[in-house]
Amino acid sequence: MSNELKSNKKSKAKLEAVKPGRLKPRVALRKTPGTAGKVSFAQPEILQEKITVEEAKYFTRPQDALSKSALSNDLPAKYDRDVIVLQVRDPWWLFAYWEVKDTTYRRLESELGNLFDSAKKVLRVYDVSYIDFNGFNAHRLFDIEVSPNAGSWYIDTSSSGRSWCVDFGLRLADGRFIMILRSNVVATPLDGPSWITDEEWAVPEDLFARLYATATGLGGSPVRLKKPWDQLRQRAFSSGGISSGLLSPVRKKGQRNFWLIVNTELIVYGATEPDAKVTVCGRPIKLKADGTFSMRFALPDGEQVIPVNAKSSDGIDERTITPMVNKETK
Amino acid sequence: MNKGYLCLVLHTHLPYVRHPEYENFLEEDWLYEAITETYIPLLDVFQRLVNDGIDFRVTMSLSPSLLSMLTDSLLQSRYLRHIDKLIELAHKEVERTRFEPDFHKLAIMYLERFNMCRATFVSYGNDLTKAFKKFQDLGKVEIITCSATHSYLPLMGVSASSKKAQIRTAVRHYEKIFGLPPRGIWLPECGYNPGDDFLLKEAGLKYFFTDAHGILHATPRPKYGVFAPIYCRGSNVACFGRDLESSKQVWSSIEGYPGDHNYREFYRDIGFDLDYDYVRGYISPDGIRKNTGIKYFRISGNGDDKKPYVAAVARQKAADHAGNFIFNRHRQVEFLYELLGKKPIIVSPYDTELFGHWWFEGPMWLEFLIRKLYYDQSMVRMINPMEYLQENPLNQVVSPSMSSWGYKGYSEMWLQGANDWIYRHLHEASLKMDELVKAHADADGLVKRSLNQSLRELLLAQGSDWAFIMGTGTHTNYAVKRTKDHLLRFSKLYEDIKSGAIDENWLADIESKDNIFPEIDYRVHQ
Repeated sequence: MSNELKSNKKSKAKLEAVKPGRLKPRVALRKTPGTAGKVSFAQPEILQEKITVEEAKYFTRPQDALSKSALSNDLPAKYDRDVIVLQVRDPWWLFAYWEVKDTTYRRLESELGNLFDSAKKVLRVYDVSYIDFNGFNAHRLFDIEVSPNAGSWYIDTSSSGRSWCVDFGLRLADGRFIMILRSNVVATPLDGPSWITDEEWAVPEDLFARLYATATGLGGSPVRLKKPWDQLRQRAFSSGGISSGLLSPVRKKGQRNFWLIVNTELIVYGATEPDAKVTVCGRPIKLKADGTFSMRFALPDGEQVIPVNAKSSDGIDERTITPMVNKETK
Repeated sequence: MNKGYLCLVLHTHLPYVRHPEYENFLEEDWLYEAITETYIPLLDVFQRLVNDGIDFRVTMSLSPSLLSMLTDSLLQSRYLRHIDKLIELAHKEVERTRFEPDFHKLAIMYLERFNMCRATFVSYGNDLTKAFKKFQDLGKVEIITCSATHSYLPLMGVSASSKKAQIRTAVRHYEKIFGLPPRGIWLPECGYNPGDDFLLKEAGLKYFFTDAHGILHATPRPKYGVFAPIYCRGSNVACFGRDLESSKQVWSSIEGYPGDHNYREFYRDIGFDLDYDYVRGYISPDGIRKNTGIKYFRISGNGDDKKPYVAAVARQKAADHAGNFIFNRHRQVEFLYELLGKKPIIVSPYDTELFGHWWFEGPMWLEFLIRKLYYDQSMVRMINPMEYLQENPLNQVVSPSMSSWGYKGYSEMWLQGANDWIYRHLHEASLKMDELVKAHADADGLVKRSLNQSLRELLLAQGSDWAFIMGTGTHTNYAVKRTKDHLLRFSKLYEDIKSGAIDENWLADIESKDNIFPEIDYRVHQ
């Protein structure tokens, strides 16, 4: 379904710019044809905006700006447990992490002798949908040979709406599989509507299809909505992306056009008796304790007239000085 | 007679960021900016609507971590310091821009806004939870809860007692602040995993939300799609599904409102644009430029030549967009009413911080929307989930599907190469917490304090924000630091409790730093 989604160039570019390498898991994956296209359920541009908004919400310091001393020590690399945990990433992919105690490996080594050294480390993935798994009754199973030092792996199950259990173990040269760890059981969601319907709440196929399309914005009402509205307003509706500024360091990467901006500001400063009353352009200003003052103005092109007036506290003496500034930009 | 319902849901959350050990801490700005740009402008909208006798319904989740920050006296006083600096800067800007009328007007606008913010904040005794409570007590805003530290539940499958602790702590905290139990919950990131509804039932919660596919992919098929809630099989907790069409109008960069060229440009802030020496006193004390909140430009177009913002034009746009939103809801509701033979409910959830912080005109848009709904039409009625369920108690029973509203609709945002390393540590800590609770059924004194603090550290480590920030791939240091800090503190507490050698000075120190949920009870973790 998502293949039909239209995402314009702009949003695509953004998606790539913001998340370099996001799709690449840390460990090598078995690549599956077709999965990438299947994954997006919702509107990609909505999700992208969400990410942008949340990034804007969490503006944080540049990477190196947290002082070294403020950074924590490292967490333990191992917890001295025999454990494997299985998690669901999406309808097709699982994530497993594991740890095997040194003593467990040593025990295996003494039991298996030479076979231990040549053994391959393997994840055995069992489809245990709708059964009480006892180790032998899986609908099907497949093995993934993992790198010797791996402690986690992304597993492509190539199907959705199933339950899974994973063993970590050794595959010996003679073909035997020695199980070391067994995971929890997880269930992946369906990647589309259920085929099961409810007699009491029956919904005709074509009605459900229309509802589904409507709800996901893939057809149905939204398509019908846009035109009447446009006709009513008789003008093109806003369609610009949320753009990023040029000067700001938070601007999106990929915009490497050379640039230059020059602005001018004018500083007017002076001093008088500390208890005098001073106005600049007719507006009273506050003097510092020593009678000095300093003001700063953005300076556009053209002539600016800046009368500075000071009156003594008894109101008898008065002076006015009027700088005139002419700015031209060529 | 109305032909359908509109349920606006504003999900409001910030992670717990509070660093008394530093005089200034950049990431605390997340809260201060949200208060100035989002929470207070929204509260002002609610107040004006109430003043004008306009009836409305908004459902708002306020995450327990945010509530904790809003009620914290240190952060309250720091907010005042923050807004005072902003007011000072705005005064300077009013002067500086005197020869530039376009910007001068805007500088005055900001000065007035900041003064208003300060006044509103102080009028509630510096505690904005009182303001939200007021609008809930008036029956206009339904406040719901979230998990305690916004932990993403679908990746906590092997930490069942941590999930319980997250929900139970949230409910208890809500009761303490609002004086009654919450009726609904926003599951963080809309993350639902089948079975989590039983935890909600146990905590007395009546309803939650999923993204559209949570319901559309439910078993059996939902007769009304996302346009009627369902009850979860077994727990009978109600679940409302997100409508993507109305979401898209607000979120989308292509068709969405916030991208309009007349609206204010988020990325052009004087904290970055102006001369370094001039803004030096208003950026981070270590000299890092940051957003101040004063922004003078409109989005303008796709290029980099930005035009000055014109408030009146943007305001008119916000009114137009509110009208457009209603126009589209009318077409949608007419279409669905016909199709379903029943009044549809359109559930439109948004991140609250979208309004005001990101989309400057968002609160204004919301105000126009509510006023127009009230005065100009009767086809769509605003409603809160609980009211809907009371009026429409008969709903289909199904099992919703695992889902989230994050990237790609499932858990990949929080489970990818950049952040998957955290789970073995989080799960391990949860197991250790189980062990501690089992060994200390009824602790008191120093041990009890240590156990309570252990749970605080564990909950703080579990917040989804850290994994999210790591997942975005840039500036991840702070998120990594927070994850490690809390896990390491937890780990020391665990060792100290086990060995009976509690370091009281150190305990007091981290109690004062990570002081979230003062009323926490470690025994909820079982």
